[in-house]
Amino acid sequence: MTDSHLTRRSLLRYGAYGAGAAALAGTAASWDRLTGADIPGRDDGSLVVATLGPAYGPEAIRTLQEGFAELHPDIKLRINAVQAVDWSDFFAKILTQVAAGTAPDLVYVATEGVQLFAQRLGVALDKWVKRDAAELKEYFTDVHPSLVESMMYEGSLYQLPVEFNAADMYVNRQVLRRAGADFPPADWTRDDFTALLRDMKRSSGARFTPYFWTNRLWGGVVPWLFANDTNLLTESRAPGGAWLWDGFYPAAQRKGRGGGFRWTTPQVTHDRVEEVYDYLASLIQDGLCTRPEGGNGQNLIGVFSTGRVGVTPAGGFWAGGLHLAGMERDGFDVQYFPRWRTQRMQYGAAGYALLRTSTMQDEAWEFIKYAARKDTLEWLFATNQTTPARRSLLTAGRYAKTGPAHWPVFYDTLDRFPDTGPIPAPPQVAEVEQVLLKHTGTALASARSVRPALRRMQGDLEKAMERDV
Amino acid sequence: MTNTQTPPARAERPTAPPAPAPKGPSARDRGTRLLATLFLTPTIVGIVVFTVVPIAGSVILSLFHWNVIDSPSYAGLSNYGEVFGDETVLVSFRNTLVFMVFAVALQLLVALALALTLNGRMPVWLRSVFRSAFFFPLVLSAASISVVMKYLFNQDFGVINWLLGFVGIAPVPWLTSENAAMATVVLVYVWQQFGFSFLLFVGGLNNIPKEIHEAAALDGATGLRKHLTVTLPLLSPTLLVASVVGIINALQVFEQPYVLTNGGPGDSTRTVVMVIYETAFEQLRFGEASAVGVLLFVLIMAVTALQFRLSRRFVHYQ
Repeated sequence: MTDSHLTRRSLLRYGAYGAGAAALAGTAASWDRLTGADIPGRDDGSLVVATLGPAYGPEAIRTLQEGFAELHPDIKLRINAVQAVDWSDFFAKILTQVAAGTAPDLVYVATEGVQLFAQRLGVALDKWVKRDAAELKEYFTDVHPSLVESMMYEGSLYQLPVEFNAADMYVNRQVLRRAGADFPPADWTRDDFTALLRDMKRSSGARFTPYFWTNRLWGGVVPWLFANDTNLLTESRAPGGAWLWDGFYPAAQRKGRGGGFRWTTPQVTHDRVEEVYDYLASLIQDGLCTRPEGGNGQNLIGVFSTGRVGVTPAGGFWAGGLHLAGMERDGFDVQYFPRWRTQRMQYGAAGYALLRTSTMQDEAWEFIKYAARKDTLEWLFATNQTTPARRSLLTAGRYAKTGPAHWPVFYDTLDRFPDTGPIPAPPQVAEVEQVLLKHTGTALASARSVRPALRRMQGDLEKAMERDV
Repeated sequence: MTNTQTPPARAERPTAPPAPAPKGPSARDRGTRLLATLFLTPTIVGIVVFTVVPIAGSVILSLFHWNVIDSPSYAGLSNYGEVFGDETVLVSFRNTLVFMVFAVALQLLVALALALTLNGRMPVWLRSVFRSAFFFPLVLSAASISVVMKYLFNQDFGVINWLLGFVGIAPVPWLTSENAAMATVVLVYVWQQFGFSFLLFVGGLNNIPKEIHEAAALDGATGLRKHLTVTLPLLSPTLLVASVVGIINALQVFEQPYVLTNGGPGDSTRTVVMVIYETAFEQLRFGEASAVGVLLFVLIMAVTALQFRLSRRFVHYQ
C-alpha cells in the first residue's frame, strides 16, 4: 500500500468527520430561520406603532400609551420611537425592520412615503372608514380635504392625516425693523420679496444672509416651482375617491378632488422650471440668498434668532422651535409664500399607515382613530412642534406664548389657496429627491450651469421614474 | 620499480543509515497544538461569521434583484451591467480614489512631521499633552465631528470664514462649491484620522536604535539628510502599515462626506460607500448595492496587494 492511499484509520477518521458534518448540516437545515422576532420580548402580542423618534418625546409617548389604554384596555400597545435624521432615514430603518421580520403594525408616514407605503406595504383604510363613517364625520369636518387627498393613492385612503406643514415664509421682525421695512402683505409678489431682501441686505452688513433656504424636497426649490405654476413631475389626479368625498365633504370642498395625486413625467427642462432656477441663481449671485446646502431647519434656528437671517421658508413646526430657542413671539412672524404666476403653496402631511403584514389590523384601526382625535392631538402637539391637521386646534390660545402673530396663516394657506398641493412624492420618491438635491447643487453653482444641470436632472429623473420600486 | 600496486579500491561510500521512521508529534506537541487551536477558534469563528459569510452573502446578493419587500429574483450579472452603466457609480469610484490619494498622503505627511517634531527635545509632560491632543479626535465619533465641522465651515455663518474675514479674505464656499467641497472633506477627515498614523510613527521612531543615529552623525549626517538616509528607511515598515491601514480606511470613507455635503454639490463628494448606502437603503436596490460593494472589495484587495508587492522595493527591515 503506497502513501497516496488512505489508511484504514484515516478512512475511519474522515468518515467520522463527514458523518459529523452531515449531522450538523442536517440539524442546521431543520431549524427555523432565526429572525428579529425571535429576540425575547419582541413579539409579545402588542400592537406595535413605529414613530419618528425625535418628533415624539418620552412624555408624548407616555401620553399616547396611557390615553389609548384607557379607551382600549384589551389592546396592548408598544410605541417604537425610531431615531432618524429625516424621513428617508426613517423609512430605511422601517424597511430594515420589515426585512428582519419585525415589521411594526403601524408606521408614522409623511407625504414623502405615502405612495411608497401604499403601493408596496400598506393596507387601504376604506372599509373601516366606511364602517365607522358616523364616528369619523367630525374628524373630516375638521380636516381640510387637501390634506386627506394627499393621503390617497389610486382611489383609496391610506392614512388619516394628523399633522402637516405648509411652506410659508418666516420673517425676522428684528431685521425688518433694521431695514425700516413693513411686514409684507398677504398678496406680496416675487418682486416685492426680492426688494425686501435688498433692503435687508443694505441695512444689515456683510455677515448677514437675507434669504436662507435648505436644499431638500420640502421647502427648497419646490415651493418656488409651485409659485411659478409648475412642478418637477407632471401632476394629475387618479380617478376614484368619490366614496370619500361624497360621504364627508360638501360640494364646494369636494370639487376637483380625485383618488389621490399622480406624479409621472419629469418636466424640469420646461421654461418655467428654468425661470425658477435662474431666479434663485440671481439671488445667490447678488448675495441675497445662501447657496444650496443640505440639512434641515434646525441648523438655522440659532442664526435666525440672532438676526443674521431675514427670511426663510418654514412651517408651523418652527414656531415651537424658535420659542424653545428663546425667541420672543414678536421677534418673528409668518406670511404666505410670495406670488409669482400663482400663489399655490407646498405642504407635507403625516399620519399612520397600516402595514399588510400586521396581524392586528382591526386593533390598528382603533389606534389610527384614537391618534386622530382632537384631544390626542392637543396633548401630542402642545409645544407647537408642528401644525395639527385639525383646524379647530389652531387657536389664539395655542400661539399666545410661542407666536407668531400671524399664526392663522398656517391653516389659512389651505383655505385661501385651495390648489395648495403636497410634495411631489411618487413611489420612487427617494431617488427623485436624491436627483433633485444633487442637480440643484450643481445648477446653482453659477448662472451658466442652470441649463446643463437641468438637462442632466431631466435624464436622471426619467431613469428614476422608469424604475420599478 | 614501477609501482605495480593497484590502487586501493575506492572505498565504497558508506550507505546512509536508514532514516528513522517518522514519529508523530509528541503528546506535548499535540497538547500545544490543541491549546493553540482552542485559543484561535473564537477568532476564526468571528472572521468566518462576521467577515467571510457577509462577503459571500454580498457576492450572492449581487446576483439577485431584491427590494427587501418582495422575494429576491435571480438577475445573473445584470446588476454589474447596471453598475458599470451608471455614471454616478463611476464618478463615486473616481471621487473615492481622489479622496484616498490626497487624504492618505496628507495624513501620513502630517503625522510623520509631527512625530519627528515631538521626537526631538521636549519636556515629557508637553510631549504627552501633544500626543493626547493629536489622538483625541480619533476616539470621537466621525458623525459628531462632521456635524460640528459643518457649522464651522458654513459659508455664511461659520467661524472659519469669520476668522478669514479678519485678514480680508472673502467668504469661501467650503461645502457648497464643487472645487472646495472635496478639499474640505479631506481636511476634516485628515484632522480626525492622522492621530492613528502619528501613534504608529512615534512607536516606530522609538524603536530605531540611538546608536545608528550616532553613527550617522559621526559620519557627518545631519538634519534632513539624517532623516532621509537613516530615519525613513528604518521607519519604512511602519510607513507600510500606516499606508495600508490608511488606504483601506480612506477607500471606505462615509460619515464625513455624508454629513458634511451629502455627496454634493452635484456628485463632487459622493463616495462609493455612500452610493452603496443610498442604493440599498434609500432606493431599495440591494442587488445593485451589493454589486458595488463587491467591486469596492475587489478594489481594496487589489490596491492592498499592489502595496505589498511594491513594498519589497522600499521597505527595509533591520
